[in-house]
Amino acid sequence: MAALTIDNVQKRYGQTEVLKGIDIAIDKGEFLILVGPSGCGKSTLMNSIAGLEEVSDGRILIGDQDVTRASPKDRDIAMVFQSYALYPNMTVRQNIAFGLEIRKVPKAEREAEVKRVAQMLQIEHLLERKPSQLSGGQRQRVAMGRALARRPRLYLFDEPLSNLDAKLRVEMRTEIKKLHQRLGTTIVYVTHDQIEAMTLADRIAVMRDGELLQLATPQEIYDNPANQFVAGFMGSPAMNFIPCQLAQGDTGIGVQLEDGNGQPVWLPLPDGGAGLQQAQLGKTVTLGLRPEMITEPQPHKAGQPLVREVAIRVDVTEPTGADTMVLTELSGVEVNCRVNPRYPLATGQLASLMFDMSKAVLFDPITEARLDN
Amino acid sequence: MLDNSRTASQQLLRWGIYGLLALMALIYLMPLWVMLLTSLKDIEEIRSGTLLSLPQGLNFDAWQKAWSSACTGGTCEGISPYLANSFLIVIPAVAISTLVGALNGYVVAMWRFRGSELFFGLLLVGCFIPFQVVLLPMARTLSFLGLANTTTGLVLVHVVYGIAFTTLFFRNFYVGLPRELISAARLDGAGFFTIFRRIILPLSTPIIVVTVIWQFTQIWNDFLFGVVFSGSDTQPVTVALNNLVNTSFGGKQYNVDMAAALIAALPTLLVYVLAGKYFVRGLTAGAVKG
Repeated sequence: MAALTIDNVQKRYGQTEVLKGIDIAIDKGEFLILVGPSGCGKSTLMNSIAGLEEVSDGRILIGDQDVTRASPKDRDIAMVFQSYALYPNMTVRQNIAFGLEIRKVPKAEREAEVKRVAQMLQIEHLLERKPSQLSGGQRQRVAMGRALARRPRLYLFDEPLSNLDAKLRVEMRTEIKKLHQRLGTTIVYVTHDQIEAMTLADRIAVMRDGELLQLATPQEIYDNPANQFVAGFMGSPAMNFIPCQLAQGDTGIGVQLEDGNGQPVWLPLPDGGAGLQQAQLGKTVTLGLRPEMITEPQPHKAGQPLVREVAIRVDVTEPTGADTMVLTELSGVEVNCRVNPRYPLATGQLASLMFDMSKAVLFDPITEARLDN
Repeated sequence: MLDNSRTASQQLLRWGIYGLLALMALIYLMPLWVMLLTSLKDIEEIRSGTLLSLPQGLNFDAWQKAWSSACTGGTCEGISPYLANSFLIVIPAVAISTLVGALNGYVVAMWRFRGSELFFGLLLVGCFIPFQVVLLPMARTLSFLGLANTTTGLVLVHVVYGIAFTTLFFRNFYVGLPRELISAARLDGAGFFTIFRRIILPLSTPIIVVTVIWQFTQIWNDFLFGVVFSGSDTQPVTVALNNLVNTSFGGKQYNVDMAAALIAALPTLLVYVLAGKYFVRGLTAGAVKG
């Protein structure tokens, strides 16, 4: 039985469709991340799960209970808000205990619960302070403590880290992941940060314009994106999209593009271009290749069937320490390559880089749909 | 050289500004000063001296008379009974209109419903309806309710009239509070009134102070409703003051008039002195956020 079932949920404001029939089911203990650009409907979906907004159509089930029309307090849900929404007039202790108090939990039990949560989040020394006396990270912890205190069936996190500075964000991210592993809670988490999505999620739901584009594990989404939007949204720096032609080579169907010398070069596709037909030869397609698949020549890979060396012109180099990002131009578009910093490169000169095509994907240049599976 | 002359001219400008401010303050304070001086003189001194001449000593006879024995129309009990009337009107009227305004503002700002903006817009019209327009309909309503010439009737009139303003104040304040507070409290299981009582009201101190001051001054200073809707024994102090000044046996007793006027004005003055800084702070807070 799923912990949360979202069954064909639709939401309309007048003529505007904000959610166009979303179907998601997650298991108990699963960490689901809703991700997408702003305005994609992820926050509306989250508010619908919480009961803060009514859905126009479809059903929402928590466990096996249909809560589509239930009020927020009857859904047994806790939520962590982007602004934390701590009650400014109450101390940290009162903030954490408020939900228990409203639900008429006896005082002794309330105090024990506050103590347990405060210990878990290491905020015991803050219990008598007001929210205005806390730093951003501390407020974040208190907001999580308030959610944890009620031990609800489902936790909702609405961009909880976006108000923190970069360093704290990474720390809290790890903390949330640890907490989830330790407590085995079921979490739905909204973010627009694809790194947060990749690092935290058991499964990611990528949304755009009120539609669910793909629901899969982070690795599946990264390696096997459903379309060009998902491919471009997940991963940083973003996947390269290179226009090229389908062409027959000695190991099956591959793609043909121009190298840094303007010479045509043929690159193989995984499984000899499985899923593609001979009739499509010559068709212009978009090759999707992640920057880490274009590297300096690596001896251990040389000779593998899907690996080719291609001459490129080094336009810009951006050292990051661990890698050096090389910008070049292929078939008229900018391409990012991730190269070992020790590999000698000269700006403006040609260099020979290794293209590993084992994870290459193909998209239709017009519909942006996947072509190769 | 250049620097020096600039600072000199800046200093001159600064003193100019102070001078202007002092002059303005003086103009505003002058009537109060004259009233105070006059109330401490006896009739002889008033006749022989000028407006600004100082009294010969601290003579509180006029205050005594204004308080307990001056004649207002038919009775000669001073204005103290009417001062009590005013408090009996003002305290419940301020309390009720503030509370209703807070609830209204809470609904309009935090629990938007279909047509809530229209509702609020219509309520705002209430701020612009002239007093005179409602006199007759209100008189009919009060007599229909059996509240004509009663303190309760006057309280009702002031509550009805004040709600438009109090709602506006509270709504503009609450619009600046994060809506997520409400969402969080709803998920915590709190209902409409629990959220209001436990979370919203404790955050409302600045705007409550503003509203109370505003309503207190408005209702205390009201003359028109007081003169129209009160009976002879439920008159507020403003009406009594008018009667006192207009009731004369022989010569005008300016000292008693002034003392009575000062007594009548004292409560509002006190409210401003005690809570004035909250008033300014609260008004601007609401204005900036709203």
